[in-house]
Amino acid sequence: MNKITEKQSGARIWQIAKAVMFAFMGVRKKSDLEHDAATLTPAQVIIGGIVGAIIFVLSIMLVVRLVVS
Amino acid sequence: MAAVHGDAHGHDDHHPSGIMRWVTTTNHKDIGTMYLWFSFTMFLIGGFLAMGIRAELYQPGIQILQPELFNQFTTLHGLIMVFGAIMPAFVGFANWQVPLMIGAPDMAFARMNNWSFWLLPVAGTLLVSSFFVPGGAAAGGWTFYPPLSTQGGLGVDLMIFAVHILGASSIMGSINIITTILNMRAPGMTLMKMPMFVWTWLITAYLLVLVMPVLAGVVTMLLTDRHFGTSFFNAAGGGDPVMFQHIFWFFGHPEVYIMILPAFGIVSEIIPTFARKPLFGYSSMVYATASIAILSCVVWAHHMFTAGMPTVGQLFFMYATMLIAVPTGVKVFNWTATMWRGSMTFETPMLFAIGFIFLFVIGGFSGVICAIVPIDIQVQDTYYVIAHFHYVLVSGALFSLFAGVYYWLPKWTGNMYNETLGKWHFWLSMFFFNLTFFVQHFLGLAGMPRRIPDYNLQFADFNMVSSIGAFGFGLTQLLFLYIVISCIRSGEKSPEKPWDGATTLEWTHLPCPAPYHSFEKPPIVK
Amino acid sequence: MVEANSKSNILMMKKLLIFTLIMFVFGYALVPFYEKFCEVTGINNLLQPDVLAKDNRVDEDRWIAIEFDANVRGLPWQFKPLQTSARIHPGEPINVMYEITNNSDREVTGQAIPSYSPRFLDKHLKKFECFCFTKQVLKPNETLQMPVQFVIDSELPAEINTVTISYTFFELPAGASPVKK
Repeated sequence: MNKITEKQSGARIWQIAKAVMFAFMGVRKKSDLEHDAATLTPAQVIIGGIVGAIIFVLSIMLVVRLVVS
Repeated sequence: MAAVHGDAHGHDDHHPSGIMRWVTTTNHKDIGTMYLWFSFTMFLIGGFLAMGIRAELYQPGIQILQPELFNQFTTLHGLIMVFGAIMPAFVGFANWQVPLMIGAPDMAFARMNNWSFWLLPVAGTLLVSSFFVPGGAAAGGWTFYPPLSTQGGLGVDLMIFAVHILGASSIMGSINIITTILNMRAPGMTLMKMPMFVWTWLITAYLLVLVMPVLAGVVTMLLTDRHFGTSFFNAAGGGDPVMFQHIFWFFGHPEVYIMILPAFGIVSEIIPTFARKPLFGYSSMVYATASIAILSCVVWAHHMFTAGMPTVGQLFFMYATMLIAVPTGVKVFNWTATMWRGSMTFETPMLFAIGFIFLFVIGGFSGVICAIVPIDIQVQDTYYVIAHFHYVLVSGALFSLFAGVYYWLPKWTGNMYNETLGKWHFWLSMFFFNLTFFVQHFLGLAGMPRRIPDYNLQFADFNMVSSIGAFGFGLTQLLFLYIVISCIRSGEKSPEKPWDGATTLEWTHLPCPAPYHSFEKPPIVK
Repeated sequence: MVEANSKSNILMMKKLLIFTLIMFVFGYALVPFYEKFCEVTGINNLLQPDVLAKDNRVDEDRWIAIEFDANVRGLPWQFKPLQTSARIHPGEPINVMYEITNNSDREVTGQAIPSYSPRFLDKHLKKFECFCFTKQVLKPNETLQMPVQFVIDSELPAEINTVTISYTFFELPAGASPVKK
């Protein structure tokens, strides 16, 4: 089990990130969704969602900075 | 509805009869029915207040309501409609439909369910009776901003207690719904196979447990400011009234989505049924709902652009608010795509669902307009805002509730409603709703402020039109009451499956009406 | 099956109740958070003396007329500025005296809250000393003279040539904690 290679865990994080990004836009292919639902746990998705929300807030703040500077 | 259940299934139920049946019931169907009747009662009371408001505004000058009473009417109209009518109605739908749609025998905590319902009449009575205490009801607007809410009389205290009780009821209701959905689904009913209505309610329930305690906290602060010498919002004691607005709207904006997400769910059930096609982009819909819920927590200060805020803050909340339109737009496109090339029929539920989409889009767009800071500074506290949120809450939330009632009445009562009268109800509602609220856009753009009993002569014509529309809309809802009662008492017997396009469990696995105890053996979902 | 189900239901309810409680506490936690946020970002700074910017310069070519206003809300005090108006250059420090008299036979505690016109004056008004930074306690029939010392910086938009600085005294309940911070 420990041998779950770094490559795989990197791929997992990327998969969560992708799921969250598509969620924020609100568009997702059915097959991808079923793949997500089968492989990701709710905890992963929730943490991913919170991280995504923080990134979202920070990026808007960055845009605001650029606009007012 | 009592008669229907009692007669058909009396032999296998060991529950008391008469009034005690309803007081002590733990059956999700009975409780759902009581929620719906309660919210309809509150809807009529709130509607009566609305009629009072519109009657006063029929002509310039003070005719019927003195300004103090007028303010009480506007305040209580808002509170009763939001907390007494719309929210309990959706909880009523959840009580009836969630167990039926996921194949569960009942809600997870049946006794708590009974308690969370019976708190509501108490809170409703507190709200209504506050008109009759010295000083009258709360009159500072439904958002109860201090300093008005720290200064008012006994009526404000009654309102605070009512909000506490309603909040407790909502939190218990949501805990029940979340637990039911997560733990009691029939075998094979995976999360991604759940009907959209169940999904939207799951996310709504999470939003409720997220923000309702914050509302409870802020009204508690108000209460201690009023009676126990704290100064959370009292500038002289080092507090800050603007902070109230921030905390209130941290609750208040997700609250807006609490009232519209279940509406999305109902419409997402009805459109596929009557288009006879599966919901287009189911997965996108799920994701968009979750996304709306998360984003709704970071946009609250767009209600406060004129309360005093640095430009950086205004820009942040403006951009965030405009981005929330993206997942909402995805939903509208999905509904439209579901109807595309479907074999559609236009029974009353479908009419209301289409009316919902049409008018909700108008409300959504005026929302995006209000999100733009320079425009909002112009239209803040004018009738433009009133028009905007009535397009979202009346033609949004309320129309979806009508659609849902017509859609599920055969399942609940075993009888069909009168289709002709139902169509009349829809077209009259549609006409009078737009007559009432569309002109309010013009009033707002011309600068008519909200929450005033008298106005400048230049606003007279549109106000008269709006008032006529409002009286018409109010009377039309009595037709709805008649349709529902006559459906229960003497409606034609419904066929076993009145909607041939319906695919959810309550239509495919249960007879009409649904038996008093359903899914005691869980169905197997493939 | 049923047993296991009801057990996991109750576990879920406990989790959700704890979450509800956390959110209730979070509502209260927003209060200190809000104050900290305002302090760090410098929004709504009523009670801290300001520091004059190093590059402050006096703009000899401009005059600003200042009007002083004083009000009391709900206390038995008389409150007035000793001068009702002044004319200064932007960047030039000024000292204004206010006088309060307690007309009653009891000890009264009050707190002054400033208010400016135009509203954005607070961005350009640098106060070094003010009676509004703390609460004021007046013994029966006592009279007190108190200073306000400030500069209006030269960044003030050129079209503004008259400003109003207003203070309102509110009564603090006996024994109420002084203003926070």
